[in-house]
Amino acid sequence: MKNRFLQGLLAKAELGPLILLIVEIAVFASLNSDFISILNISNTLAFTVELGLIALAMTLLMTSGEFDLSVGSVFGFSPVLMWTLANSGATSLVVAFFVAILIAALIGLINGWFVTRLKIPSFLVTLGMLLVVRGLALFMTNGFPQRTWSASGAWLPRILAGEFYIGDFRVYASIFWFLGSAIVLGYVLTRTKIGNWIQASGGNPNAARARGVNVNRTKAGLFVLCSVMSALAGTISSIRTSAANPDSGTGYELEVIAMVVIGGTALTGGRGTIVGTVLGVLILRIMRNGIVFVGVPGLAYNIFIGAIILGMMALHSGLERRHNAGA
Amino acid sequence: MLKKLALFGCVGIALAVPSVSQAKTYYWMSSGSPADPVWTYFLAGAEQWAKDTGNTVKTSFYSGDVPSQQEAERAAIAAKADGIATTSPDPGSLVEIAKEAKAANIPMINFNMRDPTAPFLAYVGGDNVVFGQNWAQYLVDHHLVKAGDFVWMPVEVPGATYGVQEAQGASTVFKPLGIKWEITDATLDQADAISRMSDYLTANHRKINAIMGLGDLVTGSIKRVFDQVGIKPGSIPVIGWGNTLDTTQEVLDGYVVAAQWQDPQATSYVALSLAAMAAGGVRPGFNVITGALYDKTKAGYYAKLLSTK
Repeated sequence: MKNRFLQGLLAKAELGPLILLIVEIAVFASLNSDFISILNISNTLAFTVELGLIALAMTLLMTSGEFDLSVGSVFGFSPVLMWTLANSGATSLVVAFFVAILIAALIGLINGWFVTRLKIPSFLVTLGMLLVVRGLALFMTNGFPQRTWSASGAWLPRILAGEFYIGDFRVYASIFWFLGSAIVLGYVLTRTKIGNWIQASGGNPNAARARGVNVNRTKAGLFVLCSVMSALAGTISSIRTSAANPDSGTGYELEVIAMVVIGGTALTGGRGTIVGTVLGVLILRIMRNGIVFVGVPGLAYNIFIGAIILGMMALHSGLERRHNAGA
Repeated sequence: MLKKLALFGCVGIALAVPSVSQAKTYYWMSSGSPADPVWTYFLAGAEQWAKDTGNTVKTSFYSGDVPSQQEAERAAIAAKADGIATTSPDPGSLVEIAKEAKAANIPMINFNMRDPTAPFLAYVGGDNVVFGQNWAQYLVDHHLVKAGDFVWMPVEVPGATYGVQEAQGASTVFKPLGIKWEITDATLDQADAISRMSDYLTANHRKINAIMGLGDLVTGSIKRVFDQVGIKPGSIPVIGWGNTLDTTQEVLDGYVVAAQWQDPQATSYVALSLAAMAAGGVRPGFNVITGALYDKTKAGYYAKLLSTK
């Protein structure tokens, strides 16, 4: 009985990332007790969930065998569009928000159309879209950041990124968006027909087509989801930081892909895990936070980040091999 | 006063030149990033100059990419530009190009990032080494730091000329007093910058005696970082760049004790004016040094200046 439980646990793809996360927290906490202070946990979660929202959608897209490099650009572009419309008085903040989400969905649809209809690899399509969207944000604003102070008091910003306290612990509303999205997308991926289509599209698209799965439509839908979640994350971030800069989100695409892969989703498609991605998001963000606490020299920061990512990937790969051998 | 006179004279010349000549084509080339808040003001100055004078100004950004900028500068020379106003991405990187422009009789004015090694006709802008020195001296003179203290210096792009020169200037004041400092990488992405700065401040707030923001984005993020970490405005003195509305407001609210104004719009405007003046046959024999350190009493004035954009 005990053996079966252990075997079941070892067979879980999420076990590796979970062990990594626990080790990471234990090491950082033992080196600096402030690391587990309420203030630091609250601060870390604020930015973590914004990247996490994109990572959740990216998990589904990568499971279907594609990925999206334009998410960072959409993260920057959508809030800029929303605040430009709202600040210029062209429309209300709420309408501007939905316009921005709609445009993001259109960007995703264009990505999906290029990939599925024109058969161009998603790497190239979304790399092109990254430049188009980033250029659009810069051109539209002439480079000037949009003011977001007018958000205070409005209900939409409160729902998206409002803050409240539980004792001394500051909680941002964005964490509920993240948790809600994780639950819904986790359920979709593991318990629904759509989840099967996604995994089949990434694992063996020809076999999936033969069994009646509309692979193209599935992938296009996931590109739309990825763009919409990036737009939502960007909007939340712009409200929290009171800044909508056209170059926000630069480099996020690679960090998000790293989070998803560390979590256990296959880079080649066919297998994905939302729980693993949540762990991957926490692993990377806590690592960035933790190395500041252990006193890594400021300009050596990236050396440590890169080295730790390599080390974690090696450890992850070792655990993965053991898991596959045991399965 | 002298600075104002120089600015007045140059602007006057700039306005006079086009009235007696046909519209000309000038190139305004920046080694900065189009999304860096301060560069938007530099760009606005160049666009304003084009509008006021009726000349064509072709503007471009190279985000620190030296080969691309060199290639574009050579293209402008080949296109027989009437004048070029350019920043220097790295000291020494435009020496040959400035020589080529000189040989082609194209006036080339250096602005914002100075490179005395290249034979530019003139320089318009601040002196980052002097700025860094002034910030450090301000902290010492106002008893905000003392011997043995620690100063945190966040910067958007570690290793970029501006931050290196400012830290170099500050070190001339801090080193003799045994004041230690650390430069950290904040990145040009504001959400990431706030996150990284909050992490650093949470971990090190007990040892930080002052903060020196080596760039506009980091200084303009101080309020958000302090609010995030729960640090009261003024409890850690902050000094640094102040070319954005965010920073002028932070100075007014007490988060930042003093900030550096660089006249970004005027810098571009005057650099192009000097190029036009030289193209008209009057070669400048002087540099125009801009910049002023402002505190709470003068922040409102700069906020008003920036609000016009």
